[in-house]
Amino acid sequence: MNPRVELVEGSRIALGSLRANRLRTGLTVAAVGIGVATLLAIVAIIQGLNASFARQLASLGTSTLNIARMPQISMGPTWWMYRNRKQLTVAHMQAIVEQSRYATLVVPELNEESKDVSSRDQVASGVDVVGTLGDYQRVGGYEVTEGRYITDADSDNERFVIVLGSQVAEALFPDRSPVGQTVRIDNRPYRVVGVLARKGQLLGQSLDLVAFVPFKSFLSVYGKKDFQIDVGSDDPKDLDKLEDEVTGILRRVRNVPPDKPDDFSIFRAEQLADTYQSLTGALYGVAVAVGVITLIVGGIGIMNIMLVSVRERTREIGIRRALGARRRTIVLQFLLEASAVSALGGVIGTAVGLCMAKLVAMLTSLTAAVQPLTVAAGVGFAALVGLIFGIWPAARAAQLDPVEALRHE
Amino acid sequence: MLIQLHDIKRYYKVGSEVVHALDGVTLTIAKGEWTSIIGQSGSGKSTLMNVLGCLDTPTAGRYVLNDKDVSGMSDNELADIRNQEIGFIFQTFQLLPRETAQANVELPLVYRGLRAKERHQRAKDALEQVGLGNRAHHKPNELSGGQRQRVAIARALVTEPSLLLADEPTGNLDSSTGEEIIRLFEQLHQAGHTLLLVTHEPSIAARCPRAVRLMDGKVVSDGPGAQVALESRAERARAAAAAAAAP
Repeated sequence: MNPRVELVEGSRIALGSLRANRLRTGLTVAAVGIGVATLLAIVAIIQGLNASFARQLASLGTSTLNIARMPQISMGPTWWMYRNRKQLTVAHMQAIVEQSRYATLVVPELNEESKDVSSRDQVASGVDVVGTLGDYQRVGGYEVTEGRYITDADSDNERFVIVLGSQVAEALFPDRSPVGQTVRIDNRPYRVVGVLARKGQLLGQSLDLVAFVPFKSFLSVYGKKDFQIDVGSDDPKDLDKLEDEVTGILRRVRNVPPDKPDDFSIFRAEQLADTYQSLTGALYGVAVAVGVITLIVGGIGIMNIMLVSVRERTREIGIRRALGARRRTIVLQFLLEASAVSALGGVIGTAVGLCMAKLVAMLTSLTAAVQPLTVAAGVGFAALVGLIFGIWPAARAAQLDPVEALRHE
Repeated sequence: MLIQLHDIKRYYKVGSEVVHALDGVTLTIAKGEWTSIIGQSGSGKSTLMNVLGCLDTPTAGRYVLNDKDVSGMSDNELADIRNQEIGFIFQTFQLLPRETAQANVELPLVYRGLRAKERHQRAKDALEQVGLGNRAHHKPNELSGGQRQRVAIARALVTEPSLLLADEPTGNLDSSTGEEIIRLFEQLHQAGHTLLLVTHEPSIAARCPRAVRLMDGKVVSDGPGAQVALESRAERARAAAAAAAAP
C-alpha cells in the first residue's frame, strides 16, 4: 500500500476519532500535559538554579587557592579530626612568597564573622569583617564603586580604615556617601575609604555583607585566631601545579612527616561546585523522577484510553481488515491516534510548564532558565510516551481475528 | 474456473471438542456464475463464506482463486487478495457509522493506495451504479436499510473485484426492500459479475441459477437453484417434524 496515502489516511482517522470523543481526548491530553508541564517546570528551575550558581561561582574568582587550618567544606562530623592542627602563621605565608614559582599573588586573610558595624544612627548586623591586604581585591574579584580599596600601606601603618560591602554601605548610609564617614566595630572607629560593587548571593548567602580592614590593624585588635592564606596564579591552568607546589612548601615548613596527611586544607572554588553538585544532584534526580513518573502516569492514561478505543472499534477494525487493511495499517492508525493525543498534551504541557517556571521565577528568588532543547525534548518525550504506551493497544487491535471482529457488537 | 475448492476442511477446537465446520468441501465456480450457498445454521455455510472471502484459512485442502493458490498465503497477502479480488456484502451492512456513504465506498480504494482524486471519482461512479448518486454525503444513520445495503454493494463494486460475496444480504431488510436488492444482484449478474450468495432462505436460493446445499460441513447437493431450494424445503420440513415428534 502507498505509504503516503496510508499516513494521510491514518492521520485523518486518528484525528476523526479524537474529535468524535472530545471529552475523552481532552482528559487524556490533560493527563499528558500535566506530566510534561511538571517535568518541564522542574527542569527549567533546575537549569535556572545551575545557571545562577555558575554565575555566582564565577564572581567568586576561580584562579585562587584558599589555605586554612580547617577544611572549608566538610561532610559529616569530622571537625574533631582537625582540632589538633597547628595554626597557619605569617612565616608560612612568607615561605610561600619566597619559594613558590607559580604563585603571583599571596594574601593573608583573617575573619571575624557576624560583627555589628554601626554608623552614628544605623547598625548593620552579621557582617563578615576581613583583615587583609590590597591584593585581596583580586582574590575576591571585588570592584570598587566609590573611593578606593585598602592598601598595603594602610596595613603597614596600622591605619583604622575600612572598605564596606555594598549591603553594609546601604544599611549604614542610606542617604549619603559613606566615603569619609566613620563607622564603629566593637566600639573602635574606622574611617570609610571605599565602597564595593554589589556581588549578589552565593547559595543564599549575601556576598555584600562584608567589610575589609587592613591586615595589621585587624591583628592588633583581634589577634590571629584563624589565619588563612589566599594564593593565586595568573593562569588558571596552573592551579593544579600551584596546589602541588604550595602543598610541598607548607609540608616542609610545618614539618609534616612524609607518612602523615596534610595538616592544613586547600580550598578551591571548583570544590564548591563539586559540593554543590553532589548536594543538589540527588535532589534533582528525585525531582526529575517525579516529573517522569507523572508523565508515565499520563502514558498509562493513554494506554487505557487506547484499549477502550480498540474495544469500541473492534467492528470497525474487522471492516477495515475485510476490505484489505493490513495489520501494519491498523497498527499505524492506532499509533497515530496515541501519539496525536500525547503530542497535543506535550505542546500544551510545554506552554503551561514554561508559564509555571516563569511564575515560580517571579514569585520566588529562584530563576528559571529554559533552553530550546528542553522544549524540544519535552514535546518529543511526550510523543514518545504516546508511542510506547500506544504500541500494546495498537498491536492488540491488529491481532484481532477479522471474522471475530466483524461479529463484535 | 474462478474458484476451485479441493477437499477444504476447517476444524475448530471448542473446549476439548473438535468441531468439523467444513469437512471436505470440493467445489468449482466459473467466472460469471451466480451461485447461492444454502444451509441451516450450523451447516458450515458461514465458515465456507469466510474461507472463500480469505477472512479465514482452512485447516486442510486447497483453495485456488483466480489462478492464485491462496491456501498457504500470509496474512498480508490475504489482505491484498481481499482488497483486489473480493467484494464483501454483509447482512449487517458493516458500514463505518462516522463516515459518509462516499467515504465508506472509498475505503477499499484507500487500502489499494489510490490518491484521493481517483478514489472520489470511482466512488461516485459506484454509488451512481447502485442508484445512490444523490446520497453520497449522507452518513449511514441518515439512510434507510435498503440504501445502506446499496452503499455496501457500491463499496463491494468499487474495486472491480472478481468475486462478489454476499452473506445473507437481505437478512436485515423487509421483503420488498430485499426484493430490490435481489433485483440489483440480477442486474449485476447480467453485467457479468460473479456472485456468491450465502443464505438460509430457499426462496432466495430458488432465484439463483445455481445453488449448493451444505449440511454438517459437507456439500449435499449442487444444481439449479429451484431444484436445490425444493430439497432444502423438504429437509426443513423433515427437521420440523422430527422436532415436533421428539418427547
